[in-house]
Amino acid sequence: MRHPLQMLVAIALLVTAGACSERPPTKPEVVVYTSVDQVFSEPVFRRFEADTGVRVRSVFDTEETKSTGILNRLIAERANPQADVFWSGDPVRPFLLVSRGLVEPYTPTSAAGIPPAFKSAQGHWTGSAARARVLLVNRERLAGRRRRGPCAIWPTRAGGGRPPSPTRSTAPRRCMSPPGSQTGGDAEATRFLDALKANDVRIASSNGEVKRLVTSGEVVFGLTDTDDAFDAVKSGAPVDIVYPDQDAGGTLVMPTSVVLIRGAPHPEAARRLADYLVSPQAERMMVDAAAHMPLHADVATPAHVVPVARIRAMNIDYAALAAVMDRIQPQLRKWSGL
Amino acid sequence: MLWPLFVLLAGSDEAAPSFAPLRAVEPWLLLARTLALTAAVLAVTLAIGLPMGLLVARTDTPGRRIALVAHAAPMFVPPLLPALGWFYLFGRNGLIGGEASAGLLFSDLGAVLVLGLTFAPIVTSLAALALWNVDPSQEEAARVVARPPRIVARILLPAILPAIALAAVVVAALTLSEVGAPMFLRVRTYAAAVFARLGGVDFAPAEAFVLLLPVLVVALALAAVERRSIGRRSFAVLGLRSFRSAPFALGRWRWPAAVFCWSVTGLSITPLLALGWRAGLRGFADLPLWIGGAVWNSLVPAAWAASAIVALGVVLGPLLSRRDRAATRLDLVALLAFVAPGALLGVGLAAIWNQPETAWVYQTSAIIVLGFVGRYAVVGVRTLAVACTQTPAQIEDAARVFGAGYLRTLAGIVVPLHWRAILGAWVFAMVFCLRDLETAVLYYPPGRAPLAVRVFTLEANGPEPVVAALASVQVLLTLALLGFALGAAAMRPRAHDDTSVRQRQPEFREHAGAL
Repeated sequence: MRHPLQMLVAIALLVTAGACSERPPTKPEVVVYTSVDQVFSEPVFRRFEADTGVRVRSVFDTEETKSTGILNRLIAERANPQADVFWSGDPVRPFLLVSRGLVEPYTPTSAAGIPPAFKSAQGHWTGSAARARVLLVNRERLAGRRRRGPCAIWPTRAGGGRPPSPTRSTAPRRCMSPPGSQTGGDAEATRFLDALKANDVRIASSNGEVKRLVTSGEVVFGLTDTDDAFDAVKSGAPVDIVYPDQDAGGTLVMPTSVVLIRGAPHPEAARRLADYLVSPQAERMMVDAAAHMPLHADVATPAHVVPVARIRAMNIDYAALAAVMDRIQPQLRKWSGL
Repeated sequence: MLWPLFVLLAGSDEAAPSFAPLRAVEPWLLLARTLALTAAVLAVTLAIGLPMGLLVARTDTPGRRIALVAHAAPMFVPPLLPALGWFYLFGRNGLIGGEASAGLLFSDLGAVLVLGLTFAPIVTSLAALALWNVDPSQEEAARVVARPPRIVARILLPAILPAIALAAVVVAALTLSEVGAPMFLRVRTYAAAVFARLGGVDFAPAEAFVLLLPVLVVALALAAVERRSIGRRSFAVLGLRSFRSAPFALGRWRWPAAVFCWSVTGLSITPLLALGWRAGLRGFADLPLWIGGAVWNSLVPAAWAASAIVALGVVLGPLLSRRDRAATRLDLVALLAFVAPGALLGVGLAAIWNQPETAWVYQTSAIIVLGFVGRYAVVGVRTLAVACTQTPAQIEDAARVFGAGYLRTLAGIVVPLHWRAILGAWVFAMVFCLRDLETAVLYYPPGRAPLAVRVFTLEANGPEPVVAALASVQVLLTLALLGFALGAAAMRPRAHDDTSVRQRQPEFREHAGAL
């Protein structure tokens, strides 16, 4: 070698070859991308590995890019899919994959016990252990405002009204979740969001951050998911959980959803994992560890978990919601600052 | 480095590049806010690092060497870890925390203090290194007529100005590109926004690249400042001189100086100790369940990347030290890569390498190695350039005159002369790769999350003791590596290492001639 350039090329080749020299897998494996919290999903994968002997190679999302970071990776890899299964924390994101033709329809063998509202008739996605969108309220911070309740900060719809006590696990009468573009139209949604901003509402980067903000008392209450809310309760923080809109439109319920990726490298193992993630056994693990609501009727719930059947769930078309989400992204970005 | 970014700029079939994001006012406001935050962090690091550097390098402060080593620890770990440590202490439910301390921690001021304390050792270390290597003749002459404060102000500080500027550039670059700590402390920064943009629901990497352009302008400005104000001295001053002036005797100020020195050291290591405290027995007991292959996933790509970076440094460092035009341009690219948000590089790499023909790269740790090399090549190149500047170019020229080829000159002269610098560059590069978070987080191969990424993904919802234990492992791993490096550097030097290179120039010429 007589020139630095030759040396650089040799270095690049040597290092790349060395770094690539990993042994091929000796047992069957499956690749799963998931936006379900790692702390809850990883034990499920470990149990699947122990039960089936199939090695699970996982990619987890960060809290700050929850669902979307992994989703973007799946889209970016569409020409050469690496993932076999996408276990999404909600049923909306998978439709962004469906619309791009990235989903392989499959109905898991264990999906028979899942209510029709929580699975796709075409097999595009199948719901499993679910979360609800709830208000997490800091009792101590609310003490001075109890008469007005959390709606003192949350904008109310036209007509106002007397808010109920937020300390009960039932819904405030007038303290309602944001009107989606799907139900109230873009204009109403924009008005609602602008009213939020005008009320000096803080926009958190994640559910986990909402939990921290409420438990630390930095804010009076926040909108988050039941797993984070129960985690806050379990930590001993002075917080209560409120299921909004129980006598109106119902609370938003979001099942985790299992999706198979089209053109995946390990289709057989993918189907086995999908069967497992939708099974009562996996749901039971999610109930115990993450206070998720089981969708199988035969999965028992501990006292602190409210079953789906006992709350009024918002009647929602997840596919339509996904389309709206996709459409209003520019407005949402503008509203949130970038 | 450039290839992935060009791929992003070219756009994909879904997302053609558009400059629309830069026509809005919000990104510019966020950039201004980030630059203000960076300036504040810089001020804190200089306010702590300069006096600390002076005290440990040029005075008889008690325990100064141990203090320097302990004080330096935080700069080798991801800033998210010290941030977590402070949270375990001053969060609302922390060991000594309350509402007020939590409010302070989760604010712009809190972010400035956390990042300032984390990066201050960079200023301390570079200032101390430069002070140790200032030509002692001027200082000794000045001691005849001037008191120490005047000598510091008029001789030492001007002499180490290039090292201070270099430290400032490094601190500014690290602050600008930091993602984990600001996100954790809920402080909006430009790099975090670009990261979130790449994680946004409508995948548009080309748009994220457009958002990167202002950062590239800032990086170019930093490079220009370095080149114009420091010039060649940025490489010449940080040598490995073997004889030093005696330290200043502080007299009655000795113990107050020690209090300052050890207080700063205490502040540096407190968050790291807090991680161990929060982990407790329970956290470490649960560690086997959660750590998986994370240590291995961190070490292997980091070691490969560090080796590649050093190899690049061995090739490009000597050329850069002689101001070779091509090497200078490559150095500028490497500096830009260092400053640019790492997540963008990651997405670009994925776009290039996720093809059926190159799956052997994308599905293995090689993709992480490529990202690390692109991002941290500047570490190896600069370290070797600094070392090579200490030796006259005539040695290599003489070898060539006598017929030694390029490879033989490298193997026979550059490597033997600079083995300590090579070791140092390898350790530095390895540490930078180990502490990396934002480059690998968006594209690490399935099942191969490095430890820093695992801490990041578990941090929001994982059990605190386990997260703290994982963070402690990251700290211990890094310290073990640095301990190994210090041990290797302290090995008995060979005959030709213990004397100034310049003093033994004729001997080296003879050596080159023999080749």
